Amino acid sequence: MAPIEIVHILIVWTPFLADGFLWNILISLVAMAIGTAFGAVLARLRLSRRKSLTRASLAVTELTRNIPTFVFLFYLAFLTPAEFEVSGQTYHFPAWLKAALALSVAVVGFVSDNLFVALRHWRNDNPLAALLFIPSWTMYLLIIVMASSTASVIGVSEIVSRCNVVIAAVGGEEMMIWVYAYAISYFFGFCFPLNWAMGRVKQHLLARVSAAPTGRPTN
Amino acid sequence: MSQAVGRYRLPLRAAFALALIAILSGREALANRLDLIQKRGTLIVGVKSDYPPFGMLDANGRLIGLEPDLAAELARRLGVQLQLVAVSSTNRLQKLQEGAIDVVIATLGDTPQRRQIATLIEPNYYASGAAVVAPPNAHLSTWADLRGKKVCATQGAYFNRSMAQRFLLDLQVFNGTRDTKLALRDGRCVAWLYDDTGIVGILNDPEWASYETPLPSMMVSPWAMAIAASERDSPLERAISDIIADWHRRGWLLEAERHWGIKPSRFLADTRELWSRTQPGGGRVCTRQADGEWPTECRNKLLLTSTEVGGLQHIGLLINERTGINLTILYDAYDRTLFLSGLWMTLQLMAACIVGSLALGCLGALVAENIPWLRGLVRLSIALGRMTPPLLLIYLVFFGVGHLVVTHYGWTFDGSMIAIFCLSLYTGCAIVSALLEACAVLKDQEPGFALGWRNLPSVLRLAYASVIAALVNVVKATGMASAIAVPELISASTAIVAEQGNAVVMMNVLMITYFLLVMVVVQLFNYLERRLQHGAD
Repeated sequence: MAPIEIVHILIVWTPFLADGFLWNILISLVAMAIGTAFGAVLARLRLSRRKSLTRASLAVTELTRNIPTFVFLFYLAFLTPAEFEVSGQTYHFPAWLKAALALSVAVVGFVSDNLFVALRHWRNDNPLAALLFIPSWTMYLLIIVMASSTASVIGVSEIVSRCNVVIAAVGGEEMMIWVYAYAISYFFGFCFPLNWAMGRVKQHLLARVSAAPTGRPTN
Repeated sequence: MSQAVGRYRLPLRAAFALALIAILSGREALANRLDLIQKRGTLIVGVKSDYPPFGMLDANGRLIGLEPDLAAELARRLGVQLQLVAVSSTNRLQKLQEGAIDVVIATLGDTPQRRQIATLIEPNYYASGAAVVAPPNAHLSTWADLRGKKVCATQGAYFNRSMAQRFLLDLQVFNGTRDTKLALRDGRCVAWLYDDTGIVGILNDPEWASYETPLPSMMVSPWAMAIAASERDSPLERAISDIIADWHRRGWLLEAERHWGIKPSRFLADTRELWSRTQPGGGRVCTRQADGEWPTECRNKLLLTSTEVGGLQHIGLLINERTGINLTILYDAYDRTLFLSGLWMTLQLMAACIVGSLALGCLGALVAENIPWLRGLVRLSIALGRMTPPLLLIYLVFFGVGHLVVTHYGWTFDGSMIAIFCLSLYTGCAIVSALLEACAVLKDQEPGFALGWRNLPSVLRLAYASVIAALVNVVKATGMASAIAVPELISASTAIVAEQGNAVVMMNVLMITYFLLVMVVVQLFNYLERRLQHGAD
């Protein structure tokens, strides 16, 4: 297959694949939103004065850390209905939402740990160190974007599923390597700039923290 | 992630909580599906997209084929619109169970096990059997020639298990026909165990013209349309059953078969004859009796005989009847072996991934710190490696690179090796980053610091939290190997569910097993850390 042909095929299928990648981002953002909400509650509870609450929160955090999201994905796919009826109204529970929910479990543990540290800094009048949570959160989003590709195994039409559709439609095994490599470039194109920028923000914040007179060492 | 707080430790209570959550998550079924279908004005039918000419995609990506035609006629007769959904052998009954589709018309063979999972509608509308596709010169003359050989199979086929047991095949079960085709093409197995009707479609493809079907079809099984298990004896079942009976009487199915250029099947001819036969006294033989059932002579005879049951299986089935908990992995030898070998494979994957990730991580850091002209390259590779989703990398290496290597050098790599390599690469990149970060810290402390074999342990100790986090993640991610048919825990569990329909039990068993495995690994690392700290004091 001539290179020009390969490029042509990739261009033809770009809107389809790009649309799939938007699903990856949507799934990741929803996972982050759900996970952050629950994780924040856990982090807040860990700062509670009541020992029982602190301990319970820590136990839940550890529980979420031990749940393998990939297995949980299958778990939700197999054991939750796609449609359910509440008082005559039919609601859908689409596969992409199941994927987001499975991924959010990992986010809960991350947010609980990191926000706990940030909140402590905040209370100790060290807001700059607390702000470090923002670059960490964004970098974790990138990890979740990476993991969102696993949604393909439960039939979500995201970029990896769509790669397989493209390969099936185009035929020819030579194309396979290029389609997958092209999909990888989407992840790289999205993650690299964000990762770089957040790395800079983090460095900047760390420098400010160590320079600030009231600042305490972060670790 | 260097700020990770707290040690990985799991109180027993939390483990119980997980078990409780697992047990409580149930499902709810909708009452009377026919009403629901009429209310929404659409019949949702699951058909195949990779099974020409029974169900396939046209140039515009629409689902077409014999089965979509049946679905369209069904919807027309029910007076509703039709919505087609592509399903696979693995997920068709699952989608039915969870209510995503109303009817499955997807080359589903009628078996007693499946009748436990779903309502299979009689009369059957088609039939097929098990056969193999083999490359030319495979030298197969009887089924016994395949004994002990690696044979590719597609997950969800009704005959996989029986054929494997009967002829002692070493089955390599793949997720879809595309993956199985590639595996056969790349020489990962000597033949592909598949449906004879499916093989017709494949051999029509010029690329496959040289392949052959050297063995006679076995285990001929009728196909049934399926609706949810809760819909047994419902108006929906009756409506569809009457429509299929009418198709047989009018010979409409034979016409549909001809329309798609399929060789006329003996089954359709026989069934048509039976269903249009009249009694001596007038009236048809096959009409509903007073109790609403079809007469015995018009039913699927294979399934009327009761299966022989005794011993441990009897006890297992008794538990199943009393409690609804179908622990086939306890009483069914085949499922038990499948599950245990899956567990063993997962353990091997976990161990290999930990070792591989650590090795690649340390090697990368050593190279980056000691060979100046490679430093930039290593850093770039790490950035790239960390930003490539591991699942995509597995596909790329297994199908893309694997195919190139096979065609050029004739080497095939085991799926588990590829999964270990890809997961280790991804995790190794994270470990290199952590180690380089630790090196930077040490360089700040002592300007003359240079990473070498000698001080590698102290760097590892400094980066311990991040390294462990990465290793725990790779342990959790080993399930991804199931995507390329590595027979590990997830593959084994989904295969059992596809056969037995005990999704609730198997998924909970899978979840709890994995959870415990992760917990053990975490405990092991904690123990190691205590030892390390002790050693450092």
